[in-house]
Amino acid sequence: MSEQESSAITPEAGSALAEAGKTSKWLTQNGFDHEFVGLDASGIEILKVDREFLVPFATALYAYGFNCLQCQGGYDDGPGAELVSFYHLIKVSDNADRPEEVRIKVFLPRQDPRVPSLYWIWKSADWQERETYDMYGIVYEGHPNLKRILMPEDWVGWPLRKDYVSPDFYELQDAY
Amino acid sequence: MVMNSDSLSQTSGQPELILNPIERPKVTQELSENVILTTVDDLYNWARLSSLWPMLYGTACCFIEFAALIGSRFDFDRFGLVPRSTPRQADLIITAGTITMKMAPALVRLYEQMPDPKYVIAMGACTITGGMFSTDSPTAVRGVDKLIPVDVYLPGCPPRPEAIIDAIIKLRKKISNESIQERGELRQTHRYYSTTHSMQAVDPILTGAYLQSATRDAPPRELMEAMGLPVPPALSAAEKEANRRV
Repeated sequence: MSEQESSAITPEAGSALAEAGKTSKWLTQNGFDHEFVGLDASGIEILKVDREFLVPFATALYAYGFNCLQCQGGYDDGPGAELVSFYHLIKVSDNADRPEEVRIKVFLPRQDPRVPSLYWIWKSADWQERETYDMYGIVYEGHPNLKRILMPEDWVGWPLRKDYVSPDFYELQDAY
Repeated sequence: MVMNSDSLSQTSGQPELILNPIERPKVTQELSENVILTTVDDLYNWARLSSLWPMLYGTACCFIEFAALIGSRFDFDRFGLVPRSTPRQADLIITAGTITMKMAPALVRLYEQMPDPKYVIAMGACTITGGMFSTDSPTAVRGVDKLIPVDVYLPGCPPRPEAIIDAIIKLRKKISNESIQERGELRQTHRYYSTTHSMQAVDPILTGAYLQSATRDAPPRELMEAMGLPVPPALSAAEKEANRRV
């Protein structure tokens, strides 16, 4: 997984000869294992991290200057595929002009979707991680109050997973 | 209409001045102009439909249109509609916005708190059939008439304020047709679907006191250990800077 980023070309065909970004190079130089996935639509680098290394990885990025978690969320990669917890980080400062950003993705097995909480690094992860837990059932270990935030608290199931089947409640049946 | 003979003669001669008369206007003495024939039903309905007080209830974008109706441009006060913030003073609830499974008990409770006679306008596609949420939503209630009885269905996504005025006029027509004699039959016995259950009420788990919980003061031990991993030398300088910033 730790390919030589200094060679500036990733061997995967999927990431189509994308050069690793600045943040990715810095992390590789300092020995933080990750996979450079490519650039997103806004040209911001996407890094794929193992969940075991997420907390030291995020701590390093915080120390590097990414002081704001501007978005956290999740998605289901497909029926039977992995669940993903993603983090959008940004360097916030006074009079910032196009501040540096980075995206982190953590792929989690569907049978055991546990990931450490980043609440203790960025407090804004609080409700975001609760929502991701509510919708996808990703368990954020170490979160201080991991409870459903949108759905009723006694709801069964994770509504935004691809294999979710809506219950046949009277209220949810089609109107005539 | 009975016309006075002298007013007839005046119209034939020079026109009568109506604006700003010098004398005080005389109260007409003809019996036919001082008697109103009506029924108790009509009087009662007229009084009721002229002061329909809607509840301030909005859950989504439909309420933006409803709020425009409150403002001076569309001005629904001229229909005698005064927005009320408590269900106990309201005659009418306009369900402006999507109703979800989580909101449904609150809506039914608000409806039950309104005094009889009470009316419901289902505003917008969401409260009629579920609207754009009717295909794949795990939460949106498919039509608010599964929860409370609806008098007027007001389609649109969202409907314009003029459409709400139209719905209110239709509701006024409906109210004006009601009769006190039929009041017993108008009362609805089966208002919404309910079933017997053996569920027990439990204390809510989301109390707001969680901000003071002890788990918020410090991360758990495992996470502290994980965060205390040895830091590579290139990082320590940057971390020192971060600490200074904090």
